[in-house]
Amino acid sequence: MNTSFLLFGLLNPVFALMAAPLYMALIRKIKAHAQGRKGPGLFQAYYDLRKLMHKETIYSPVSSGIMRFTPYLNLTALLACSLFVPLVFVPEPAGGFGNVIVFLYLLALERFFTALCGLDAGSAFGGMGSSRSMSLAAVIEPSMVVAFAALAFVLKSLNLHEIFALTAGSLLPVSPTLVLVSISLFIILIVETGRIPVDNPATHLELTMINEAMVLEQSGKNLALLELAHALKQLLLMGVLINTILPVGLSTEAEAGKIAVSALLFLLKAGVLALVIGLFESSLAKMRLFRLPAFYMMAFFFSALTILIEVFA
Amino acid sequence: MIDPLYLEGVIKILFVFVLISAALIISTRSLASVLNTYTVQSFLLAAVSFLLYLMEGKSELLLLAGLTLASKVLLIPHFINRIEEKIKIRRDLDFTYLEPTTSLLLSIGLILLSYAFLSRVFGDLALSRLFFFGAVIGLSLTLMGMLVMFSRRKVITKALGYLSMENGVLMFGIFVTELPFILEVLIIIDLIILVLLTSILAVGLDSSIEEYRKKIYKLQIWNGGDAL
Repeated sequence: MNTSFLLFGLLNPVFALMAAPLYMALIRKIKAHAQGRKGPGLFQAYYDLRKLMHKETIYSPVSSGIMRFTPYLNLTALLACSLFVPLVFVPEPAGGFGNVIVFLYLLALERFFTALCGLDAGSAFGGMGSSRSMSLAAVIEPSMVVAFAALAFVLKSLNLHEIFALTAGSLLPVSPTLVLVSISLFIILIVETGRIPVDNPATHLELTMINEAMVLEQSGKNLALLELAHALKQLLLMGVLINTILPVGLSTEAEAGKIAVSALLFLLKAGVLALVIGLFESSLAKMRLFRLPAFYMMAFFFSALTILIEVFA
Repeated sequence: MIDPLYLEGVIKILFVFVLISAALIISTRSLASVLNTYTVQSFLLAAVSFLLYLMEGKSELLLLAGLTLASKVLLIPHFINRIEEKIKIRRDLDFTYLEPTTSLLLSIGLILLSYAFLSRVFGDLALSRLFFFGAVIGLSLTLMGMLVMFSRRKVITKALGYLSMENGVLMFGIFVTELPFILEVLIIIDLIILVLLTSILAVGLDSSIEEYRKKIYKLQIWNGGDAL
């Protein structure tokens, strides 16, 4: 364990945790503007979290311990993930941190426990959400594995820190095939954060909802933790995409000035990505559930294509 | 003079975009975006041929780029656009035999197949990586175009599949065999006639001859009808 990694381990999770709700609010704001509304302010997400933190937590009488510890577990898993995706600077590799496979499993752990907690409350809605989430996960997870495999194959490393140390600082993607991987990563970002056309994050009313259905029975502090975990997941996946396609400014040295520039640039780039996501969401309608695999298959297709092209060229 | 290595890099990026456009033609449902994708694909081809001219300096490549730009980026999309406006069909939702998902999976297989096939054929010839890559993309584009013709139901999208198949042949021609220029011109004239015929057929395949004539008059697709 070196000092660079220790510093990273302190800074990166805190930065991610602080910035995560901002982008939830920003995307909401952009969508509101696209619909001709003003939308809530940029700090609304923080206010909501604070409000929820002070509210009473109510459990369904049939629920078990899963309902109680899942919020903590999810947030912990995502905080561990935040040690894998460099946002402020790329540290020197240490131990097993940054391993792509562990990263994917941590995300799967979060997904699994969210689904369990949907079932746990004993309401029909939660169970429906869980069953949908799991059946769609069976399709998106292979695509996700192939996308990250493509990333690892192009940059010849299984370690996210090493991968992004290679891309860091260059103005353009270091290899043309990274453009293809980015398309897959964007689709994965949309799917994993439950956005249109896969799911609608803005409603509790639709029969087709997936993610919102699973957290429907949560309240108070637990809901706040789950929402924070969700926002964190979004920010980390955004981070992976940004570091792949537009890594300009990401520092590989742990110097105060460079870290500040990296962090500021990341906030800017994530803002641009949030704009893209917001407009993408506004320009599409929600897909029928059974058409979703076709959308996921695009991610699979582009990742597989990346690997093929890397072999040819 | 521009650095050839840099040009090669740009051409490879264009290859990637050509494949993306082929995937979109397979899976998109709105007719307008299929047409736009075809236009972009043709433009990419023109760009590839122009960059290759910069690398190699053969004047046929420049002519080919110009010809592709004029015919496939401007003229043919213009014709098809006119038909699309008149037939009032905006979407092609019907797929026969294969759903887009299966088609996409199958096209990965087709790309692999053309790679395996071409690496055997050109194994002995000392073809540079770029040219080999171009040949693989060309052949897969042809096969993917065939997949579009095979799985789409509407005449117009079938025609677009055929056109995209021809793009593949052109690409293969640029990188491997060097067709004589006169053949390329003939092919493009054929294509324009094909599109004209499609424009007539697309509106009337489902009707009797009498209705068909009325329809053509009504939609004013074929103004030379007074002589009939």
